[in-house]
Amino acid sequence: MDFLTRHRSIVALISFSLFCIISLSVQGGGFTLTFEGVMSAIVTPFSKGYNAISNGIGGLFSGFEATDTLRENLRKAEAKLQKYESMQIEIIQAELSEVRTENEKLRVLLGFKERVRYNSIASQIVSKDPDNWFRTLIINKGANDGVSVNMPVIAYQNGQKIVVGKIVEVRGSISRVQPVIAPDIRLGVKLQESKIPGLISGYSYNSDFCVVSYISRATPVKKGDVIVTSGQAGVFPPELLVGTVERTELSETNPYQKIIVKPYIDYSLLEEVFILLKNPDKDFFEMFGEVQ
Amino acid sequence: MILPYIFTALLTAVALILQGADIIAIAGKKPDLVFIIVVYIGYSFGSFNGQLAGFIGGLFHDSISRSPLGLLTLPKVVLGFMAGMIGRGVVKNTVIAIMLLLFVASLLKGILTLFLAYIFHQALLVSVIQVIIPEALYNAVIAPPLFFIFDRIFHGELERGGFL
Repeated sequence: MDFLTRHRSIVALISFSLFCIISLSVQGGGFTLTFEGVMSAIVTPFSKGYNAISNGIGGLFSGFEATDTLRENLRKAEAKLQKYESMQIEIIQAELSEVRTENEKLRVLLGFKERVRYNSIASQIVSKDPDNWFRTLIINKGANDGVSVNMPVIAYQNGQKIVVGKIVEVRGSISRVQPVIAPDIRLGVKLQESKIPGLISGYSYNSDFCVVSYISRATPVKKGDVIVTSGQAGVFPPELLVGTVERTELSETNPYQKIIVKPYIDYSLLEEVFILLKNPDKDFFEMFGEVQ
Repeated sequence: MILPYIFTALLTAVALILQGADIIAIAGKKPDLVFIIVVYIGYSFGSFNGQLAGFIGGLFHDSISRSPLGLLTLPKVVLGFMAGMIGRGVVKNTVIAIMLLLFVASLLKGILTLFLAYIFHQALLVSVIQVIIPEALYNAVIAPPLFFIFDRIFHGELERGGFL
């Protein structure tokens, strides 16, 4: 006992180190998850509170600035409304309906599957990963709102659906989103033009780029080519925008080329996301033994 | 006696909340405020308190991060211990000395984290340039004013312990 007291620093160092090493070795075990749950439950209300206060203060100041902009926008909107009212709306609607019907007929003729529409829930980012090594986002919707693991998360930009990431952890009122720039995410994508499929993941820790792997060296790829989801991995619906090609990297030893992609989403500016209420395709996951 | 522990816990909680927000990020890089607190506690109150702060702060950090439990804790424990071994007796409380202390400690912490990530998780060598060095520089720059504030917060305890 006297030895322990005299050498308490060394004893503590060994004990703490052993705890960490054992925990790292058995990661994913029940204790780890429960412990993290308790810690999250303690810290999350503070994060939410901070977020609410900072949003409130920011909103107050921006509210003053926004009044003038709002008045100007209102004036423009009124002018636009008058212009549109003067147009023959019925004719436009009839033309639109005709095009839609024709599109559906063509889809049937080409044997395309009917597009499935998924419900979505809007959610706010309340916090981001506190460390530079990981890039996850914490959102204010959780199991209580019907969110579950592996649901796709998207954002809207200029009316287009853009991939943000997928849900990797769900608690009562919050969830953790793994963004597409994280090195440990894997997402089925394809080149929009040539339809060549590949697998996208984050380029590295703390980088804002992604990398598409398993694209043959022979495939022509140029800067600006659009990358979309393939829908083949069972998590994301097809044809959601991911990013554009920045450059390609070739190495002597690799039969594939690496395509560096710049995502459409700027993660430092992202505030609001939408969770698609789509559960992963069960058959696909069972095939790879990922469903317990 | 319990007051320094409460202050440390509060500071750690505030640090984690600030790190979760983007306001302290420069070009996407954040300082490790929890680590700065750990080094301060070790530097001011000895190895045992340093590693204790590292253990508790690291557990909180791991828990609200995506990291496996222990990955961010162990480097903080080790560096908290080492900062205590050095202490105020060796490194004087000057701006340059503190900056240097934090820079070296952050580099060591980063290398240890990378090593653990390599064994237990997933590691990329490019992290040295993209994560470790920028974080070490950022920590070194903001450490002197933070140490000054911490000195004021823990003034009573430092005087009682004869650390000043």
